[in-house]
Amino acid sequence: MMDFYDSNLVLIQATCTGLILALSIQVPLRMGVFSFAGAGSYGIGAYLAAILVIEQEVSAFVAIGAAMLATAVIGLLLGLLIFKLNGLYLAMATVAFDLIIGVITINGGETTGGSTGLYGVITDFTMGQMFALTVIVLALVALSEVGRTGRRVDAVRDDPELALSMGISLRRYRLTAFVVSGALGGLAGAMNVLVRSAIGPLDIGFGLIVLGLTMIIVGGSRSWKGAVIGAIIFTWLPDILTAIGEWQELVYGIIVALAAVFLPRGIYGVLVDLNKWLRRRRRERRDPPPAVAAEQAGDIDPKPGDVREFALNEETVP
Amino acid sequence: MSAQPVERTSTPVLELRDLAVHFGGVRAVDGVSMKLMPGLIYGIIGPNGSGKSTLLGAITRLTRMTRGELLFDGASYAHVPPSRLARLRVARTFQMVRLLPDLNVRANIQIGADSRTTSDDRTGSRPSWFERLRGPAVSPAVVDAIRRTRLGGFESYYPSELSYGTQRRVEVARALAMDPRLLLLDEPTAGMNQSERAEISGLLRDLRDEGLTQLLVEHDVQMMMDTCDYVFAMNSGQLIAEGEPGEVVRNPAVQEAYLGRKWGRDA
Ligand SMILES: Nc1ncnc2c1ncn2[C@@H]1O[C@H](COP(=O)(O)OP(=O)(O)OP(=O)(O)O)[C@@H](O)[C@H]1O
Ligand SMILES: [Mg+2]
Repeated sequence: MMDFYDSNLVLIQATCTGLILALSIQVPLRMGVFSFAGAGSYGIGAYLAAILVIEQEVSAFVAIGAAMLATAVIGLLLGLLIFKLNGLYLAMATVAFDLIIGVITINGGETTGGSTGLYGVITDFTMGQMFALTVIVLALVALSEVGRTGRRVDAVRDDPELALSMGISLRRYRLTAFVVSGALGGLAGAMNVLVRSAIGPLDIGFGLIVLGLTMIIVGGSRSWKGAVIGAIIFTWLPDILTAIGEWQELVYGIIVALAAVFLPRGIYGVLVDLNKWLRRRRRERRDPPPAVAAEQAGDIDPKPGDVREFALNEETVP
Repeated sequence: MSAQPVERTSTPVLELRDLAVHFGGVRAVDGVSMKLMPGLIYGIIGPNGSGKSTLLGAITRLTRMTRGELLFDGASYAHVPPSRLARLRVARTFQMVRLLPDLNVRANIQIGADSRTTSDDRTGSRPSWFERLRGPAVSPAVVDAIRRTRLGGFESYYPSELSYGTQRRVEVARALAMDPRLLLLDEPTAGMNQSERAEISGLLRDLRDEGLTQLLVEHDVQMMMDTCDYVFAMNSGQLIAEGEPGEVVRNPAVQEAYLGRKWGRDA
């Protein structure tokens, strides 16, 4: 057990940061906000934590806290700027945001270390602390998926107009999505730089969007459990696939494509559907649906809102 | 059943003044004024496309109005954002069933009750952030709404597992769970059989007897005559008649609006 842990330390760390990066894209997506700004926040969080540690010699927790605070505020500002955009336009705007962050890190001179990036980011950050933070984040995200908040998030995503008529402020939920996404991205980036002790422009490119998105598409986009499944698969799979050498990328691509086509709600979605189906079967065997018989007996109105109904019913007028 | 009681003592729950909604050149609603007094069921009839649903959309602030004034309890709310209307306790159902596919019947209804558990609830102590986040497991309002709409036994079903008529009842239950002061219903019995319709009609009358003001859009004239205290007839975005249900239905202008439309369509 200890051997496994030691020899796979890097992968275990990458699973945690990958998971939180995936959540930074999944949380807004669950609210119907197609924002990939989490990837840009990851870059900001990583660089900010690195700079604070190198120049101010702050502790790991101060670096992480500052990174999350900064990315949450930037998320809010970005949100205020673009939350009214829809679907694809919003997605494009957030991708642009990510690319701008990339450009800034390359051209940041000594502060960001240019194309080499920053290294020597050494703190007392431990694996235990990393696990603890990851678990806390998972618990909070899980909490947002159940009860009142979970229902309201469902409404905001699936039927915004209905959500409004149920007293839900879309603006508030969408802005929250940006803030949470920013903080999660910042956390993932900061933790990554603290365990890896270095960060460069190549670590925060477009690839982060692809990685996070792949994790939640294959794992499942509606639940933190899907993000966990995806994070584990796509952190460990490339490592396993190195065994087959040059075919690696092809196999990877095929898996993603198959999942996108055949599992629209990801692996976790399949488990949910299976569970629903089993429950229904058990229920139907125990007792048939209460009013189905009555409904089948009655004559169902042929077409809702047909004008002819009025003419037919006219005889009933006294 | 008498005609609209003139405003003797109380202010109308809802008042519309010269309300208009234009979509480009289409005058979907064009200068409608009405007053709804407390504790009565009002009906709107009118042929397809006469602007009934658009009118409900404007009343609930989901559809942008072109001109006019909206008053709830005598106070203008023409500039209040739609998400605030739940606080005024205005509830509605939609012409097309709009249930959330990933939530079961109980959770779909609970969404209505959720709107009542916000921090501005003056009764009782302020809920903690955790209580507000989680909400109650099952509110009494939900239990009550399920009982009244006879959805008992369906609580753990998902919308896709229900017949159309049952889905509609879930919509009504969700609106009731908001504990409304004004209930707007857009063809709540479309797709239901006769006995289900009679049941809904009975439910609406019970609610009226408890003091709930309602505005009901329906095509089924018999149902409107059985249910409503007062009926408005619309055509091409305008009111063409109003009064006691039987009177309005016999009104020549109303009959022509329907029949003319029918012939025009068949031609
Ligand atoms: N969003 C929209 N954009 C443009 N035109 C619209 C829009 N919504 C409604 N209309 C038009 O406004 C008119 C009134 O439509 P509305 O749905 O209010 O009628 P209705 O009385 O509810 O009809 P039905 O009995 O078929 O439900 C119709 O001509 C319709 O085509
Ligand atoms: Mg309509």
